[in-house]
Amino acid sequence: LPAGGASLRLCSTRVALEDINKPVIDRIIRVDHAGEYGANRIYAGQMAVLGRSSVGPIIQQMWNQEKDHLKKFNELMVAYRVRPTVLLPFWNVAGFVLGAGSALLGKKGAMACTVAVEESISDHYNNQIRTLMEEDPEKYKELLQVIKQFRDDEREHHDIGLEHDAEAAPAYSILKTAIQLGCKAAIFLSERI
Amino acid sequence: VRCQHYPPLRALQASAVLRRVSDEHKKEPLTSSSQQHFDSHPAGHQPEQEPQGPHPSYTGQGGQESEDYESEEQLQHRILTAALEFVPEHGWTAEAIAEGAKTLGLSVAAAGMFHSDGSELVLHFVSECNTKLSELLEKEQKLVQLGEAEKKPIDEFLRDAVEARLRMLIPYIEKWPQALSVLLLPRNIPSSLNLLTSMIDDICHYAGDQSTDFNWYTRRAVLTGIYNTTELVMMQDSSPDFEDTWRFLENRVADAMNMSNTASQVQSTGEAVVQGLMGAAVTVSNAETSRAVR
Repeated sequence: LPAGGASLRLCSTRVALEDINKPVIDRIIRVDHAGEYGANRIYAGQMAVLGRSSVGPIIQQMWNQEKDHLKKFNELMVAYRVRPTVLLPFWNVAGFVLGAGSALLGKKGAMACTVAVEESISDHYNNQIRTLMEEDPEKYKELLQVIKQFRDDEREHHDIGLEHDAEAAPAYSILKTAIQLGCKAAIFLSERI
Repeated sequence: VRCQHYPPLRALQASAVLRRVSDEHKKEPLTSSSQQHFDSHPAGHQPEQEPQGPHPSYTGQGGQESEDYESEEQLQHRILTAALEFVPEHGWTAEAIAEGAKTLGLSVAAAGMFHSDGSELVLHFVSECNTKLSELLEKEQKLVQLGEAEKKPIDEFLRDAVEARLRMLIPYIEKWPQALSVLLLPRNIPSSLNLLTSMIDDICHYAGDQSTDFNWYTRRAVLTGIYNTTELVMMQDSSPDFEDTWRFLENRVADAMNMSNTASQVQSTGEAVVQGLMGAAVTVSNAETSRAVR
């Protein structure tokens, strides 16, 4: 609609939840939900290959935490009436393939994948925390608490990955860069679509 | 509610121009309407207001505002609402908007604020209907939460919601095909799509949909299909009180429920088959291993 003309901009009928910045919160919850969903599938893929190996219990433990994260974001998504990303079926397959593929490179390969993904995710959560703090820390207190807690969990996963010789994985730096590039693309798309 | 707000200065200029023009054409009605306006205020205010009289309000942005101040958006809203009663006669056109402006004591030139194809009138009407539907669904939900009403089964809820929304078209049903063609103009598609999707999302939300996976899209797509086809049937329906339309709606909602039941049945059957095959494969491989050991 032309900015200069006296044209009427029609309103949507959505009821505003209190007076939050809906577009910003929409994006945050949508992309975080997609991220946790993807992380779930990555760990599922890793377990499918390495479930019976020595790192099986550790991966299972990290997977359980991701399941809790996903549950929380499912609740937030319903509470804030946010649309999930259209690409969920795609992340379903891509996450599993990434997890299984990295696990086929061995235990260190799986750990390298974990390190790469968790680093991307914690950077991404930090960005969101910054955004929300700039908006209004009081209004978004609950959401900030959730994201901070999850960021700490992901950081812990990242450290566990390093402890288990992620850096000794074959072609570690290439693997890490490639996975992180994929994560950036996934984040970009899930925010918008 | 996402609305755009225009700067007050332009709004004041616009309404001031309208008032001046209407002043020239119709002095008496305006004076009488202003009198009515002032009469409604408590007596204490009268002495202060009268000197201002029916003069256009040229107030600065930071200055005192007269009682007549309203934004351009509010004015347009009032004109379009008034125009709706002339739609059955004139259709969704600039003539209806002009007639609506006249009833508010404004000049017919006020219709010049809008596009000549009646786009804003149709979009305004749809937006108002959607708001009414939201309020209705919210009220119903409150009653259920307070325990004063039974929670409806999903198919009945969807049927009632779509019927309630479509019934709002009944006074304008003769001219509704024209409205639909206006909504499909390329210029209006973003707005009309936005209004349609938020209405469907509202119905799904109040129906209790809490899906966070691809079902979110599937359910809304199905409901959109039901709504659009029922709307088209309604326009060609000549039965008493549109009972053919409501029967069509009931059948479509039942189809949708069956479809989702069938889909989940297919899925569980598929899973059972896969498990059976896996079990068979494991048994065969065990048999092979034990034979090899012997």
